[in-house]
Amino acid sequence: MFTTLLIIHGLLAVALLGSITHQTAAACWPATSKASFVSAFRGVAGARYTVANIILYVVTGVLGGVIYTAYRIAVRPYLESAQLWSINGSFELKEQFVAIGLGMLPLYWFVWRTPLDAKLASARVAITAILCFIVWYSFLVGHVLNNVRGLFGR
Amino acid sequence: MSISRVFPIFAAAFAVIYVVAVEANWALVTYHPRLNEWEFLTKPSKSGPAMHWFGWLGTSILAASAVSLAALPLTRRWQPPIWIGWVVPLLVMVSFLYFLRSFFLR
Repeated sequence: MFTTLLIIHGLLAVALLGSITHQTAAACWPATSKASFVSAFRGVAGARYTVANIILYVVTGVLGGVIYTAYRIAVRPYLESAQLWSINGSFELKEQFVAIGLGMLPLYWFVWRTPLDAKLASARVAITAILCFIVWYSFLVGHVLNNVRGLFGR
Repeated sequence: MSISRVFPIFAAAFAVIYVVAVEANWALVTYHPRLNEWEFLTKPSKSGPAMHWFGWLGTSILAASAVSLAALPLTRRWQPPIWIGWVVPLLVMVSFLYFLRSFFLR
């Protein structure tokens, strides 16, 4: 069951990664034309991603919380016995960053409310960029950890 | 009076309370994954490890909600600055780098 949940967790994380990266690009580096691939990537309507990102963040986090119990029993003891301290510490950081991001979600929703408030533009950039960093960091750490020791792997 | 006016306070309070909850181990609940058993408040490990992360989240959600509710009447005349809702969490993230530095400096 945990392997299935891990795969679903990973797929949802990929969706969140793409969605929040689009929104961050639109907030930090807005484009008016969609002439090239890069400008089309940046030229999305960022506000349309907000609710989807919140749902994906929460659902991915809940699934991660379920998988975390198996990680604690099967993976972390291996990391400790193999003295993979930096990888172990990277996951410790991930859980703290994800938690802090969770607390920012109401404010994230607030700054992306439509019609967009021009006075909140810098806050939109900062909050979205922080959440984007948390998602990217969490995704990469999760990916590396799964490569080091997949759940119940040998 | 819109509840959304306290969202910056919630984000800042959540981050500060969370880091304090982690460092002081103030967990609302403890989970024992080997036994599949939940306990109220911070408890030591029994058979296998004890997990407090869910408890730290619970503590932070409850306490930050209480702080936000207490601050709600103040926001009738005062709009909390939005920046506290991202600068404080950012500082807390940096503080975790410091608290967890031993993992990376071995």
